[in-house]
Amino acid sequence: MDSVKKNSWSRIGLFLAAALFLALPGKDALADDPTKNIHGFAEAVYGPKLDQDGLTRKNDFNFMEQRLQLKTSCRPDQPETLARWNTEFFYKGDLLVDEREKTARYNIREANGVFSPFSWIDVKLGRQILTWGTGDLLFINDVFPKDFESFFVGRDDEYLKVPSDASKFSLYHPPVSVDLVLIPFFTPDTPLDGDRLSFYDVFLGRLAGKESGRLLTEPPLQPDSTEVAARVTRNFSGTEAALYGFKGTFNQARGIKNEDNKEFFYPRLAVYGSSLRGPAPFVGGIVSGEIGYLDSLEDRGGTDRLVENSAIKYLAGYERDFPEDLRVGIQYFIEQIMDFDALTVNARGGDVPRDRFRQLMTLRITKLFWLQTLEASLFTFYSPTDDDAHLRPRLGWKINDQWTATVGANWFLGKHDWTEFGQLENNDNVYARVRYHF
Amino acid sequence: MKTLRIGLALVSLLCMSGMGLESATAAETSAGSAVMKETIAAYYYARTDAKSEIRMRIVNRQGQTRERRLTLLRLDKADGGEQSYYIYFHEPADVQGMSFLVLKHPGGDDDRWLYLPAIDLVKRIATSDKRTSFAGSDFTYEDVSGRDFDEDEHTLEGEETLGEHSVFVIKSTPKRPGEVEFGTRKFWIDKATHLPLKVEHYDLKGTLYKVYETQEIQNIEGTPTITKAVMKDLGNERFTELTIKSVSYDGGITADLFQERSLRRPSPQWIQ
Repeated sequence: MDSVKKNSWSRIGLFLAAALFLALPGKDALADDPTKNIHGFAEAVYGPKLDQDGLTRKNDFNFMEQRLQLKTSCRPDQPETLARWNTEFFYKGDLLVDEREKTARYNIREANGVFSPFSWIDVKLGRQILTWGTGDLLFINDVFPKDFESFFVGRDDEYLKVPSDASKFSLYHPPVSVDLVLIPFFTPDTPLDGDRLSFYDVFLGRLAGKESGRLLTEPPLQPDSTEVAARVTRNFSGTEAALYGFKGTFNQARGIKNEDNKEFFYPRLAVYGSSLRGPAPFVGGIVSGEIGYLDSLEDRGGTDRLVENSAIKYLAGYERDFPEDLRVGIQYFIEQIMDFDALTVNARGGDVPRDRFRQLMTLRITKLFWLQTLEASLFTFYSPTDDDAHLRPRLGWKINDQWTATVGANWFLGKHDWTEFGQLENNDNVYARVRYHF
Repeated sequence: MKTLRIGLALVSLLCMSGMGLESATAAETSAGSAVMKETIAAYYYARTDAKSEIRMRIVNRQGQTRERRLTLLRLDKADGGEQSYYIYFHEPADVQGMSFLVLKHPGGDDDRWLYLPAIDLVKRIATSDKRTSFAGSDFTYEDVSGRDFDEDEHTLEGEETLGEHSVFVIKSTPKRPGEVEFGTRKFWIDKATHLPLKVEHYDLKGTLYKVYETQEIQNIEGTPTITKAVMKDLGNERFTELTIKSVSYDGGITADLFQERSLRRPSPQWIQ
């Protein structure tokens, strides 16, 4: 299992979020009583593994957990400035009883305040979920943290997104809007660490689980390590165009600091990109395109084999609906590695073979039955260059206004151990989830 | 013998549909069109903007009930023309906080966005099929936001009395049959308010399968407004009751509200 050297400062975000709430004005000062405005769900999930490769810490199941999510919001009447700024506080937390880890954990998903000091600006401070870009489960300019472990074991899609402790400034001047996000506390993607899912360990040169023992070192908290992400969007009569920029670090440990003690780090990264999304002419449906240049700031020439090269990522998507609640979406994604020759020249035996152009296609089919109470869907990733695939069939039933039941599976196929989905080949799983909403 | 019976049935069906196709006179069509234009203006384009709270009660064959509660904001550019809708869901709990933005383009596909607050995702929704159910109810998207006037041929079938209302009876037939699930619709339209009091939906074989009924009309700020209605699905023995509350007109809704910003940050002034 990996050990993660965390900057203890990342806890500060949590503290600030909590402080924000403690500093909330008293109940009398609120226009609405937050205790009367509590929503959420209680759920129970069981996710057994279909393969047992003996690598992960427990081989019979991925997760068995009960979760209670509570969310509430309030708008203060006092002090007058907050009321005038149309302030709203929002809080969402999950209490998780994890039968696998034999622990109970409390995670704050969101704890933030939004206010508008002027009519043309919204400021959102605190823990929040951040999303932008046009991809469907493929991300180029969405540089915000993800939890692919949750995604691969079958937790609800909500948990693919990891919250960021950030400040977001949104400026509006229709039809143009500008978003500026500052993230002082680095949050990485949740790493595949061999605990629930086995993965390809580059040092061992094979699939590994709990014995992997990598060390992932997060960047220290320094004033200049604050990540900055920006987006400018404009709506041209139904077609949305966007420009994106980001300066920060890779969300995955794409650099090796020390080969001897298997120490990885998160190299610095800049991303520049753009996207378009709008109605497809003549045929109907929605067409989208996105591109991003990932500038690997610590290996600009591509000569350092220990640090990820720069790359250009391209994405084209099309989605349309058909009668009887049928929807189909397809995407085509290319990752072009820059300075590929330098990468090849400097590579050593044992390095993971890469393609200059990695291609990935996705297909989403969704069909609703019984007046939209039963949803059957299949999401498929397939890479012709990596020779791997990931299939996600799912059946969700809204039993009534309170209860939902979901069953699904994650199926991985791959020719090689080192590709994105190929490394997960021994982690096929199914899951069943029951939720009560209130 | 059996084959003969089926054959006879087919022949009589063909005759019936032939009768249906018997062309309406130009006068009936133009009268029908005039009435339907007024109806669309009164029903979907009342005043310039409107805010309302909509409750839906969906009851199935077994008597099980599902409820929806949403706030609907509307702003018109011109009667019968471009329109913007904003919909915010309060209930049920699993969709609480979700919102929709619809920019309606008569004669073309609407622009529709959906916001999922749990993942902060603004999703663009393809809208080629407008006959899908609205939020799992017996109403379709077109029932909620209006069907293009030009999609159907409207003929005046006659004048009647329905309850205490004097009504026009209009038959609307799709110009491109087969693109929608109904063959014809028959409207009973109140002469006084131009609002539909009853709509019968007939399938392609001419069988009545869905009935809409207005149950209550209130005069709100001088504008006759439907505040209670029901859509019954006869084949599936289910129905949806629609209750429209807290209606206010011309409250100063502006085009700014129909932007991505309102999806991410709903304005309390408008959604509560």
